[in-house]
Amino acid sequence: MKQEFRWGYAIFVLLLLSILGFISVGILSLFAGIDVESLTGNVAIIPIEGVIVGSENDFLFESAAVSKDIIELVEKADENANIKAIILEINSPGGSAVASEEIANAVKKTNKTTVALIREAGASGAYWIASASDHIIASRVSITGSIGVIASYLEFPGFLEEYNVTYRRLVSGKYKDIGSPLKEMTPEEEEIFQKNLDLIGDYFAGEVAKNRNMSKKDVDKIANGLFYLGVQAKELGLVDELGGKDEAVAYIERREGIKAEVVEYKTEKGLLEILTGVFSKQSFFVGKGIGSSLLDRKSVSSLSITT
Amino acid sequence: MPMKKLDLPKERTFVGPALVWKRVIAFMVDMLIINIVVLFPFRGLFEDILPKDYSFSEAYRFLSSSANYAGFLTSVSLVMSILVIMYFYLMERKMSQTIGKMLMKIYVADASENASSRSTGDNKDLKPWQLLARNIVFIPLFPFVLLWVLDPLFMFFTKTNQRLSEVLSKTKVVERYSLEQ
Repeated sequence: MKQEFRWGYAIFVLLLLSILGFISVGILSLFAGIDVESLTGNVAIIPIEGVIVGSENDFLFESAAVSKDIIELVEKADENANIKAIILEINSPGGSAVASEEIANAVKKTNKTTVALIREAGASGAYWIASASDHIIASRVSITGSIGVIASYLEFPGFLEEYNVTYRRLVSGKYKDIGSPLKEMTPEEEEIFQKNLDLIGDYFAGEVAKNRNMSKKDVDKIANGLFYLGVQAKELGLVDELGGKDEAVAYIERREGIKAEVVEYKTEKGLLEILTGVFSKQSFFVGKGIGSSLLDRKSVSSLSITT
Repeated sequence: MPMKKLDLPKERTFVGPALVWKRVIAFMVDMLIINIVVLFPFRGLFEDILPKDYSFSEAYRFLSSSANYAGFLTSVSLVMSILVIMYFYLMERKMSQTIGKMLMKIYVADASENASSRSTGDNKDLKPWQLLARNIVFIPLFPFVLLWVLDPLFMFFTKTNQRLSEVLSKTKVVERYSLEQ
């Protein structure tokens, strides 16, 4: 066999195997079914980004922090003996009161040091979660606070009347259709709603007071739904420190006496889930196009209670 | 009448077992090339998944704490070993040599009793199973891992400098020796 051919063949084999190597790594990364990033490091960083919701279906098409996923990540970090601290990287305007409470409870349950790092926003339900951590760090210009509850819906009985559509009320319980957008809310119903909202708001403020070691009275004074900039929140005792990720890491290193190695914990999506997501979104937008030609989207709504 | 000169070859050659040091260097060259070229894509993956600055005991504790993690590492190692075996198989099947062996001028040959090519080092009679069996040592699973120590040690106890897997696969590594007349 000629010497030139031998070297040519050797180079061909090496190139072939190198390409196979790249393909193998790609396939392994996609189908491994394991979030390898979460297995190294000693400080877990968990992003809480977007509106806080209870399940992915609640907020399909914009970035959302799904409580189920976040709780899973918090528990995973808690179970990992190598993880010494958890940083909750918050950038959220709040969301579902139930979902926020679920996450806050999961954070309180951990045995690790927890630090809430509020970036652009950590308001309302997101602040509820932050308050459950051991230490809160926010930027001077972060939006935080907004302790309060909101419930809203659109009513359109007038719109129905205009089109000669009648709402035929058939209920077995007096308040069964409370909050229906098809009829006008009575003062009595409004009072019931307001009472419930006040209860949730009071509970929210109580939780913040407990978590932050503040008096309920002090929290009530600022629990008016107003948002505060980081620097104001520091003065009010809603945050412990002004800064960013470096300050969060420094705090953990000081407290735990470790050299922090931060690793991001995030929900990994399999190839199938990614593809399903793409298809479902495409289907949605096709449907939305057809639907919007038949109905004005603004006129359709339902009651939701959010923090 | 002057005697007519016979046109005899200037040197006589014969094929014998390759020297151990040549085999060791050839192996090191091959592993270096495999590491640089074939396993290069895996480097990034390992940097991400392997614990950093861990002592052996810490790393062991860490690995044994997660069955998923250990399983994933085994899968990656298995894929890597398949690529390594493919390198040796493809090279030795076609040319009787790997790059390391080419540089050290040594060859893989059939060592079975009925081999027609024993004296030449030509491997045309080598069967795929023989080529696979002689490289079985690269499989990172039990019981093959036991061969990591036993296999090379065997070379020092055989007259033909054969590894254990070479004895089992009925192959050997040879080189041409020349005797000047």
